[in-house]
Amino acid sequence: MQILPTLAFVVIIMTAMIILIFRDWRINAGALALQYLAAFILVDVSWPTGMAVIKLIVGWMATVTIGFTCMRQQKSTAVEESPASMFFRAVAGLLVILVMFILAPGVQSNIFPGLNLIIVQSGLMLLGMGLMQLGTTAEPYLTVFALLSLLSGFEIIHAGLERSSLLTGLLVLVNLGLALVGVYFIGTGVEKGTEQEEEEVL
Amino acid sequence: MTLNTPLLWVLFPLVIAAIVGALYQRKALSIILTVITAFGLALLAALFPENLTLSIGPLRLVFSENLAILGRQITVKYEILPFISLIYAMTGLWTLSSWFPNTPVAFRPISLVLTALLTAAAGVEPFLYAAVLIQIAILVSVPMLSQGGGATDRGILRYLTLQTLAMPLILLAGWLLTGVETLPADSPLVGQSTILLGLGFALWLGIFPFHSWIPMVAQRSRPNVVGFLVFLFPTTILVFSLNFFNRYTFLRNLPNLAETLQLFGVVMIVIGGLWTAFQTDLKRAFGFSVLTESGFSLAALGLISQGGLNWLMLLFPLRALGFWLWSFALTALENHAEELTFESVRGIARRFPILSAGLILAQFSIAGMPLLASFPIKLALLSATLNAGTAFGVWSFIGNLGLFLFTLRLLFSLLTPQDENTFEKWRLSEKSNEYLPVLIMILILVLLGLFPNNFMDGILNTLTAFTQLQ
Repeated sequence: MQILPTLAFVVIIMTAMIILIFRDWRINAGALALQYLAAFILVDVSWPTGMAVIKLIVGWMATVTIGFTCMRQQKSTAVEESPASMFFRAVAGLLVILVMFILAPGVQSNIFPGLNLIIVQSGLMLLGMGLMQLGTTAEPYLTVFALLSLLSGFEIIHAGLERSSLLTGLLVLVNLGLALVGVYFIGTGVEKGTEQEEEEVL
Repeated sequence: MTLNTPLLWVLFPLVIAAIVGALYQRKALSIILTVITAFGLALLAALFPENLTLSIGPLRLVFSENLAILGRQITVKYEILPFISLIYAMTGLWTLSSWFPNTPVAFRPISLVLTALLTAAAGVEPFLYAAVLIQIAILVSVPMLSQGGGATDRGILRYLTLQTLAMPLILLAGWLLTGVETLPADSPLVGQSTILLGLGFALWLGIFPFHSWIPMVAQRSRPNVVGFLVFLFPTTILVFSLNFFNRYTFLRNLPNLAETLQLFGVVMIVIGGLWTAFQTDLKRAFGFSVLTESGFSLAALGLISQGGLNWLMLLFPLRALGFWLWSFALTALENHAEELTFESVRGIARRFPILSAGLILAQFSIAGMPLLASFPIKLALLSATLNAGTAFGVWSFIGNLGLFLFTLRLLFSLLTPQDENTFEKWRLSEKSNEYLPVLIMILILVLLGLFPNNFMDGILNTLTAFTQLQ
């Protein structure tokens, strides 16, 4: 049964890289949906399928909600981006993957000895890539995608540590709430020209 | 009929918030409903009998403290009621200020939802789940920060991002802490869980270097909404943090924890104070002064062995009232001035003397000016910090001077006429619904400064909920 989690791990790396590199919402929404499928497989290792499938359904609901909103906003499909910036993000993503591969065994043995290494690796990978994504974008839907990925990574690890119906329910609310906030952000757009103000802040 | 306290202070306000949300187009009705609910619940919490039994004529209502949800419990204990009374009273006060034009219509229902969620967070068992409730509250708070449905400010995105990062850290730290209880003090897990916990709280409280969203949001959102946000979240999160100190002995005994908290407190006081001193934007200055206040809270936590918790609890209501007046005056002035910069408000005191006086006094009160509300606590805190370490004390004092300096600069700007060659007569341009609340609050701040022991002792009863911290 180790083959499915390994496959899920590979899917997680690929989808996280796609979300980091590309800026087209359709590609990213598809990648996020796939990522949730992989996360479900990994959560399924620790939880009964009936409970793990909640993560999948909620993740897909969040993805669809944001995807439909992007579609209604008629976001440009061909975002003008220089190959250099995509290359930069790809290299940054590869660095994160490398760092997480190095960190994961130590984290697993020192902090989460009861967890399968692949679970720890997948969780850390999503946490790391989510953080990198947050650092490279100020686009609302990408920020929310990054936060959803990051929470997904956390939930993969946390599922192996604790099983609680209330916590699962609350995390469902957090994920859906985040998607709704994303919808709200996409609807209002982001103010331009605030870079100056940001520089003034410490 | 079986009733319970969470039903009263968590579910009931949520129902009212839904009704208020549905009535968003009827401004007066929604304000009245929100204010009555908030003040009613605050009053009830303040007067609730210890035996949890309400007798109204022949009717006798017996309350239990617990509400079971999905195998877990939300508990609103009698001991925590003074704190709940405070947050509901302040919710009522802030929603009262929502009659100002341009206040987001979502503010009223959301303020009730936030207070209800944070009340639940203060009493959920296991208490670690509070992190998720706080996260939900953060998500709910986002729409009220956008001004008039306008474009989303990057500060709000940053706020959402940094606050969301805190939840996983706290939950993971909580899981680690359950194992740490049985481990020796030199176990590496102790350090790891403490770092995770510290990072989580630093993100939540906007501690340096995670503070950048506070001035950004303060500058772009309505001051009354920001005032409510920066009072409610840090206050509840600090009370939530006491659970950790109460529950885990190793945290209380951790070497250097007190010094570390004091160090970060002083850093926040200095950063906030210095940045406030040199601001020209009034709203941004409000944001930076929040950093200073977070610093004082951390310093009080660091002085736990010298009675710091009492100062921390006493600071909550005094800070809340100061922030309320400050944000109220800023919101009112924002409706009369083009923007809230030194240049724009120049000479405005000659047309709006009471609002200007309210603004200045609120700032002085927060800064700890003698005869005003925060003075006794700030003095005690600064003295204790000085006793703990001369460098800490001196830097805290310097940082705290920042707000004084800013207030003096603002006072000069408010009094100097736009055109220095023409004489501008003093006149009262405020409406009664603008100057009356300001006058009442000024009176309260002065009374609290003159008689600090007579009004504030009730909030200290909250500490009885944390038996190990007595």
